[in-house]
Order: sequence, then C-alpha cells, then structure tokens
Amino acid sequence: MANIKDLKSKIKSTKGTLKITQAMKLVSAAKLNKAQHAIQNARPYANELELTIKTVSALCEEYSHEYLVEKPENKKTLLLVLSANKGLCGGYNSQLAKKVKTFLNETDLEIEVSYIGKKVRDLVKKQAKEKTFYTFAKTDPSFLDMKKVADELSEAFLSGEYGRILVAHNIFHSAINFEPTVKQVLPMALDNKEKEALKEQFPFDFKYDPDPKQILDTLIPEAYTSSLWTAQLDSIAAEHGSRMTAMDSAVGNCKDAIRSMTIKMNKLRQAAITTELIEVVSGAESLKG
Amino acid sequence: MNNYTVDILTPAKIVAKDVPAESLLVPTVKGEINVLQDHTHVISKLETGIITVFGGPEDPDRFFSVTTGTCKVLDNKVTILAATSEESKEIDVERAKLALKRAEEKLYQSDGMDDDEILKYQRKVDRARLRLQLVSYHG
Repeated sequence: MANIKDLKSKIKSTKGTLKITQAMKLVSAAKLNKAQHAIQNARPYANELELTIKTVSALCEEYSHEYLVEKPENKKTLLLVLSANKGLCGGYNSQLAKKVKTFLNETDLEIEVSYIGKKVRDLVKKQAKEKTFYTFAKTDPSFLDMKKVADELSEAFLSGEYGRILVAHNIFHSAINFEPTVKQVLPMALDNKEKEALKEQFPFDFKYDPDPKQILDTLIPEAYTSSLWTAQLDSIAAEHGSRMTAMDSAVGNCKDAIRSMTIKMNKLRQAAITTELIEVVSGAESLKG
Repeated sequence: MNNYTVDILTPAKIVAKDVPAESLLVPTVKGEINVLQDHTHVISKLETGIITVFGGPEDPDRFFSVTTGTCKVLDNKVTILAATSEESKEIDVERAKLALKRAEEKLYQSDGMDDDEILKYQRKVDRARLRLQLVSYHG
C-alpha cells in the first residue's frame, strides 16, 4: 500500500505534467488558429482552379498536357508522405502510418517513398524503399520550399522515372476531426463521367483569350503546385488540431488523477490520525487500571 | 443596379468575396477588357495590372492590383484567380517604395547574375511600381 509521502510526491509530479499539457494545449490552439486561417484562405483558390481546369479541358477537345498523360505500363510510383516532426498529437501520425502501411500492402505498384516530417518515416521506413527525406530551415515548409519539392517531383514524373506521383496526408476537417488519405497528384486524373457532366452543365463554350490551350498550359502546373501546397496546409492544420484535442484530454486526465490521489492521501492521513488517537485513548484507559 | 459579383482569390488569401459591381476593367494579356452588363462567357489570362471594380450608384468603386492569373466571367459572377493581389487601401506605401529602391539597386549591379535572378528582380520592380501607381491613382 502506498504511503502518504509517496502519494504527495506523485501529486506534485502530476501537477507538473498538468502545467506542461496545459501550456501545450494553449500553444497548439494558437497555432491551429493560424493554420486554420491559412487553409481556409487557400481552399477556395484551389477549388476554383480545379473547377476551371476541369471545365476548360472538358469543353476543349483533343487537348493534352504532359501532366495529364497516363503511364499505365510504368509501375514505378513515388509516394510523398506529409507528417509531423513531433509526437504527442494523438492518433495523427499513427493513423496516417496505418493508412500508408495498408496502402503499401494492398497495391501492386512498385513504390518508393519520400517524406516530409519524420514521425511517419520512423514507423514506415522498414516497409518501403526510401527516396528522399525533406527537411527545411523552419519546422514547416514555406510556399517556396513546397514549390521546390513539387518541381522536383514533377521533373521525376516527366523524365519517366516514375509513372505516377501520390501524396499521403491528413485532411483537416475540424479541430477534433481529420482524415488520413492517399491521393494521386500526377498524372492529374480527369475521369470521363465528370467530363460529360460538365459538358451538360455548360452547353455553350466560353470565349477564350488567348486560346484555351495556352490557358491550360499555364493553369495546369499552377494547379499541381497548389494541390501539394493545400495538402501541406491541411496536414499542418490537422496536426495542431489533433495535438490540441490530445492535450485537452491529457489535461482532463491529469486533473482526474490529482483529484483521486488527493482523496486517497487524505483518507490515509485520516486513518493514521484515527489510529494514533485510539492508541492514546487506550493507553490512558490502561493506565487508569 | 449591380450586374456582377466579383471574387478575387489568391493562394494565400481571399482578397475579395462577393463584391458587387456594375462593370469592371480587367487587364488581360491582349489588353484591357471592359466587362459590362450581359457580357459573354469569357476565360482569359491576366497581365500584371490594375483591376477596377465600378460599384455603380449604390456601391463604392474598388481598385485591386493583380499579378498574372486568370479571369472567368460566367453569368453574373466574375472570378479572378491571381498569383498575388491587393486592394488599393491595403497597400503599404513606405514598404512598396523601399522594395522598389532595393530591387532597382540590385538590377543596377546585375553583372554576373543569371537570367532567372534578373527576371526575379524585374518582377519585383514591376510589382512595386504597380502598387505605387495604384496608390497614387486611387489611394
């Protein structure tokens, strides 16, 4: 049975943990706010860009861009995994790692993996051949950093080294909700059903200035970079959201632990006092004779 | 009577959302176009320049700088996707002047720079000049 002294020191150390988790929660909340702002500002642009490309390419027959060419015979695939550099963020890294592992097990493609963020790398690296591990001057990559990565990947795709480029990351839904996904960024898939639907939606054609091919030529690389950038923003926001939720429940657990330990300690103290009292009283009784 | 609502979107920021407009002036690669009531559906590539949103009698006129992008006119909706964009009242004049000075100095000493770098500073000069121009016209 634990004695009072042990309990006291345990309560003290739990209080220390409580302070740390509370501070981490506050920090994550502030970072989440910023990250959420960034992703919410970037999403409309990315969506609108994608919609414009889909519409224009659906309406414009016989257009092909080198980013759209499917290479089914080339099984070599590069998977870019975006994860966190730090832990203590709930299921953020482990869920993504699980998703990536299942994907690696089920696919028949020849996969090499590049990483941003070391946590999922640590979990997955034994299972797949590693291509590059990107690190940046700051913890989170800037737009220019991300553009460099994007250019490197697209070059590898265009040179024929890889048949397709995939990205695995967590999609941010809300502070308590994120979803791990693996999606293809190159070649950009435009499926025929969607094309038909868009054709029905736009029975007329646009007036283009300059011609649609030139417009698509500039828009498609833009959309590719933007898709990687939003993926990165998504994963940052999801990380902070997940860490905030994890720290919130850690704070709750700490408080519960402190409460139950204090009650236990008080009970023990009370029991000790009672025993002492009984000893004193019965001692006095026996002296009386 | 306002004919259009205008959205200006950039990768970093929603610059303008649902701005009411009677007509617009938009700088495209083939020259400035004027979007009036019942304009045909257009998708066009933008040049660095100033977008003017005329609010008509009810709403204020607003001015935005843009650097490269696309403009889509569809029914009564104008969507502008730009690499960067700023509204005239948000521009920091001192900063723009400083940026212009710095970029120009770099260009004076451009011996030994490669083409990409020269282009980069050239663009910086263009952007700073555009900002200053926008402020001096409509600040």
